[in-house]
Amino acid sequence: MKRRMESYGKMVQLLFMNPVFFIGISLLLVFIMTSMVLILTGAPPFSVYKQIFLGSLSTGSKFGHVIKAWIPLTLCAIGLLYTFRINLWNIGVEGQMIIGAVFCTFIIRLFPNSPYPIMILFLAFFSSMMGGALWALLAGFLKTKGGVNEIFAGLGLNFVAQGLILWLIFGPWKRPGVASMSGTEIIPKGLWLSLIERTAIPPAGLILTFLALFVTYLLLKYTKIGLGLKAIGLNPKASLLFGLKPSLYMLLAMVFGGGLAGFAGCIQVTGVYHRLIPSISSNYGYLALLVVMLSNYDIRLVPIVSFFFSCLNVGSIQLPMVLHIDSSLSGVIQGSLVLTFLALHALHRRLSTPKEIQPS
Amino acid sequence: MIEIIDIHKHYGHVKANNGISMTIKDGSIHAILGENGAGKSTLMKILSGYIHQNSGLIKINDQIVDFSSTSVAATFGIGMLYQDPMDFPQLSVIDNFMIGQAKGIFIKKRTFLNRFYHLSQSLGFSLEPDCLVKTLTVGERQQLEILRLLSLGTQVLILDEPTTGISDLQKDTLFSALTRLTRDGKSIVLVSHKLEDVETLCDTITVLRQGRVSGHMVKPFDTNKLLDLMFETRSSPPGRLVTSQGPVFFSLNQVSAKGGRVGLKNLNLKIHQHDVIGLAGLEGSGQSVFLKVSSGLLPVQSGTICLDNKNIVGKSHVYFQNSGITYLPSSRLEEGLVPGLSITQHVSLSARPKPLIVNHKKALISSRDAIDTFHIKARPDSYVETLSGGNQQRLLLSLLPLKPRLLLLENPTRGLDLSSAYFVWNHLQAFCKTDHTSILFTSSEIDEIMMVSNRILVFYDGKVVLDKKTAETTIHEIGAAIAGKSVHL
Amino acid sequence: MATKPFVKIFFVITLFFLFISGSPALSAQPDQTFTFGLLLVGPMNDHGWSQAHFEAGKYVEEHLKSSKMLYIDKVNPADRPGITIPQLADDMIEKGARLIIANSDDMSDGIIEAATMHPDIYFIHVSGDGALTGKAPKNLSNVMGRMEYGKMMAGFAAAMTTKTGKIAYLGPLINDETRRLTVSCYLGARYAWEHVLKRKPSELQFEVSWIGFWFNIPGVTSDPTQVTGSFFNSGYDVVISGIDTSEASIVANQKRMAKKDVYAIPYDYKNACDGASAVCLGVPYYNWGPSYVDLISQTMKGNLKQQWLWLSPNWQDINNPDTSHVGFIKGPALSDIASKALDLFISDMGTGKIQLFKGPLNYQDGSVFLAPDEVANDKKIWYMEQLLSGMKGQSRVQ
Repeated sequence: MKRRMESYGKMVQLLFMNPVFFIGISLLLVFIMTSMVLILTGAPPFSVYKQIFLGSLSTGSKFGHVIKAWIPLTLCAIGLLYTFRINLWNIGVEGQMIIGAVFCTFIIRLFPNSPYPIMILFLAFFSSMMGGALWALLAGFLKTKGGVNEIFAGLGLNFVAQGLILWLIFGPWKRPGVASMSGTEIIPKGLWLSLIERTAIPPAGLILTFLALFVTYLLLKYTKIGLGLKAIGLNPKASLLFGLKPSLYMLLAMVFGGGLAGFAGCIQVTGVYHRLIPSISSNYGYLALLVVMLSNYDIRLVPIVSFFFSCLNVGSIQLPMVLHIDSSLSGVIQGSLVLTFLALHALHRRLSTPKEIQPS
Repeated sequence: MIEIIDIHKHYGHVKANNGISMTIKDGSIHAILGENGAGKSTLMKILSGYIHQNSGLIKINDQIVDFSSTSVAATFGIGMLYQDPMDFPQLSVIDNFMIGQAKGIFIKKRTFLNRFYHLSQSLGFSLEPDCLVKTLTVGERQQLEILRLLSLGTQVLILDEPTTGISDLQKDTLFSALTRLTRDGKSIVLVSHKLEDVETLCDTITVLRQGRVSGHMVKPFDTNKLLDLMFETRSSPPGRLVTSQGPVFFSLNQVSAKGGRVGLKNLNLKIHQHDVIGLAGLEGSGQSVFLKVSSGLLPVQSGTICLDNKNIVGKSHVYFQNSGITYLPSSRLEEGLVPGLSITQHVSLSARPKPLIVNHKKALISSRDAIDTFHIKARPDSYVETLSGGNQQRLLLSLLPLKPRLLLLENPTRGLDLSSAYFVWNHLQAFCKTDHTSILFTSSEIDEIMMVSNRILVFYDGKVVLDKKTAETTIHEIGAAIAGKSVHL
Repeated sequence: MATKPFVKIFFVITLFFLFISGSPALSAQPDQTFTFGLLLVGPMNDHGWSQAHFEAGKYVEEHLKSSKMLYIDKVNPADRPGITIPQLADDMIEKGARLIIANSDDMSDGIIEAATMHPDIYFIHVSGDGALTGKAPKNLSNVMGRMEYGKMMAGFAAAMTTKTGKIAYLGPLINDETRRLTVSCYLGARYAWEHVLKRKPSELQFEVSWIGFWFNIPGVTSDPTQVTGSFFNSGYDVVISGIDTSEASIVANQKRMAKKDVYAIPYDYKNACDGASAVCLGVPYYNWGPSYVDLISQTMKGNLKQQWLWLSPNWQDINNPDTSHVGFIKGPALSDIASKALDLFISDMGTGKIQLFKGPLNYQDGSVFLAPDEVANDKKIWYMEQLLSGMKGQSRVQ
């Protein structure tokens, strides 16, 4: 009897080690959990799923809007890979995105009627990255020099960034004669990111995001920077003995993370809203944190998980429009999804890594 | 009486326990002896319910038991003292003692205090109940853990390498306490690779080799026969290095520093080329602060550190490293290696200078080399946390720079069996012979210091109280200095 | 080898969605219904601006039998982060909408963008001026009600009621529209004060406080509940609401429970006095139904031209649901005397006997808005540059 139980246990363990089976089981569990939550809130689960799917992927233009959300979300998530690698929780990504958007708008306001819009755009991209990086560096310095936990520093700086953008929109950058939280004057049409016809996809943003994915993959896997970040993240004390400077690498990771978030902010300004608005970040920073964690910090999964969340974000607008359910329900879906996945991750880790020291 | 019958445990293709059977009698001290990686720890973890065997039976008093967890094992009176004590450093001694046994909402602290005093008195321990655990030495934390386990009703106490990292005095206390416990009918299982400890203390010895039982023996023991059971081939012990003393190249002048319990107070020291210097003293008497200061990891408060007559105080650790000064910490997994990275990745990390693009192929070849040369029992892609202590130390040795000028080693042979320790020393001494390297190392074992070093420094309360050539001193003089009964310098 | 599981995962996820969605192809029904879309800036049940539009949409469905409404509320970047107007327009058009109404000034840029992208679909931007300035493409029209009259009535009722002589205006954000509405309120109040009550204009205090948006966005705007409370606490006894939601009457009602003699005038929605009858002096409201029906039936016939509409009340019966675009419903708290005076005021405005946008009127900074006997034209009212002298509060942001 006991033998039998044991062999069952082993079989279950082996099955869980198989990635395809694991993903299958995960999806099934996630599906059951979310459906239960939906039923509890009184929403018909199947119609909800159907509408979210149709609302995000059924037509080319909807797919375009998904990609429009995917670009900044993925950029932020890529940036977070650097900081998570070195074991920093860059909660400040939201603020870094905002500051990137502010720097971008600043450049555009400086040269509204330039004859070389491409150059201005490049300048705006570049300075938004600098802005985001600078904002991240502030949190980085607070961490490395001041010993302030990066989570608190990041949260604080998020508030400061939010305050700054409100002040700019309500004050110096207001529309002439208007004082409204609805945003600044629209930027000149020549400086809008051009879109693929009949969709909301800016090819420039798409290409640069893929480039960022590719470069980050190489950087993390094949360079001393990637190895150094990982080593310091896993054991800062030992990394010192290998001649690495933890504080230097931490600042470097913040610069990469902040720069990419800042760039995402600039995409929001030039490609999506065409002006600066108070909620320019669309909460993509916080969402990106979830994306990276659910991807298990694996860059190959990041674009896929990010795509999934973008679908959820775009598709959930169907809930109020078609089913007349409040779309904040998609937040509930997101929440139960994240919880179930995290629980499964924990289970997976427990089953797959026996903690004992392996004798030879 | 505990019977272990045909226990098998394997990790992947590695057979850690390959059909082990033995019997542990009540009221006896039973030693499990074996080289690093012989399967001792695995067997004990199975016995304490920490892991589960693949096959085989455990019987207690003729009844078959199945330990699905440590708490189940605990209900059968089996308790294990791990090499790294599992306690809460931020809590007080008495709080740690109460954890796990206090039931109900209102904790009757007084009852526990009484029990604590009673137990520790009977075993000859002297712990302050209100001390914070983080201020205790390893030996004291061990005592606390023993008290806690006994209070939980442990009948069979398993100790994993208990004499590692504790002072001789603490060892004596421990041994007499263990002997006392057997008189009360409790069984002690001692896991060790230290022949000397085992021979003095135990009634029965079971020797393991490569996952199998290679022999049993009862008192009195034949050392040579035990060694034959432990090792297939015995490596020869290293001797004291005999070379001519070179010129002074590294010196500390009036150095004071903070750190540890006592810091470092006005240290003056000159180090010659080819020196092998052993640092003795009770743990926390200033030796490790001294090593960290000398390697640029800890800042000095005052004084100068000179390398080739140039003051290098205030330079970064990386500068020290690039000048040929290398430090290896004693806690390998905590400070020396990066858990989560493979051997190959460690080889890449230690490359100097680091190229921007990591050459995986080249690192793979070098790590294969290292594995062969240093007899590391692992594959290039093995994660370092899966290596045994000896293999971790071999890996660290393989990562040392080619021509170090000064090696600062904290307990370089801690936790290693004899043959591994000999291997380490043979390798280190080669540096001194060919590259004018000097070595400074700490060790809790005076025998080791006497065996390999040509100069000894004894630390007491942050100061060097004895500095002599090993040839010109005696164990007695060293022992007195360690205990602070100072002699003339 | 390493990438294989990820490919499989992606495949599995896709299958999963295909499974739950049945057939992914969207089937558009080619039937006779005319679908129109409605983008509401606030919640559809806000007892204010957005609800008025939502009910107008229902009114259209009732009066044009073959019409069908698609709607979505809370269309603003704070409530729906990441969602843009062109995105919603795309979606509604895919669902068959042939005309889209955007109900907020805030949507101006987005709706112009969407209209440019879909030249074959009609767009109506409520409260904007794109068709007037030429910023908008040919398929976008503007419509607005002459709420100035409603606000004059509100100001009139407030001045007839106040005992302290202090009237407050709870303003949204500052722009041309909100300035002219506030000014209208002031003009109505000053008329009652000077010509009905025969008191000195200098004794009337009229103050505006702007919260920053059409409704409360926590952390972004000032909190209208607090602003209203502080008005009442500093001696103002009538608060006229200029925002989309009902905080002013709610707070007034609470103060009344605490035995304070205060009043409120809500805004935008016919039934806004419900639940606050003890303090409600009345409500000026828009009645969008008739104009919607008009615009949509023109579109159905295919002859909608670009236009900029600024629609007046039906002076014969300002509260007629089928003919009047702007109305004022008297509240239970309005006294009989005030009520009678208000009726006379309304009929005199209808006949043109009373013309409040007539000089001499000066701006807040002392410069001339209207010279003596000059009557303002539409453009001058529409693009109101400042508040008038005599009013307290910001004309623009410092």
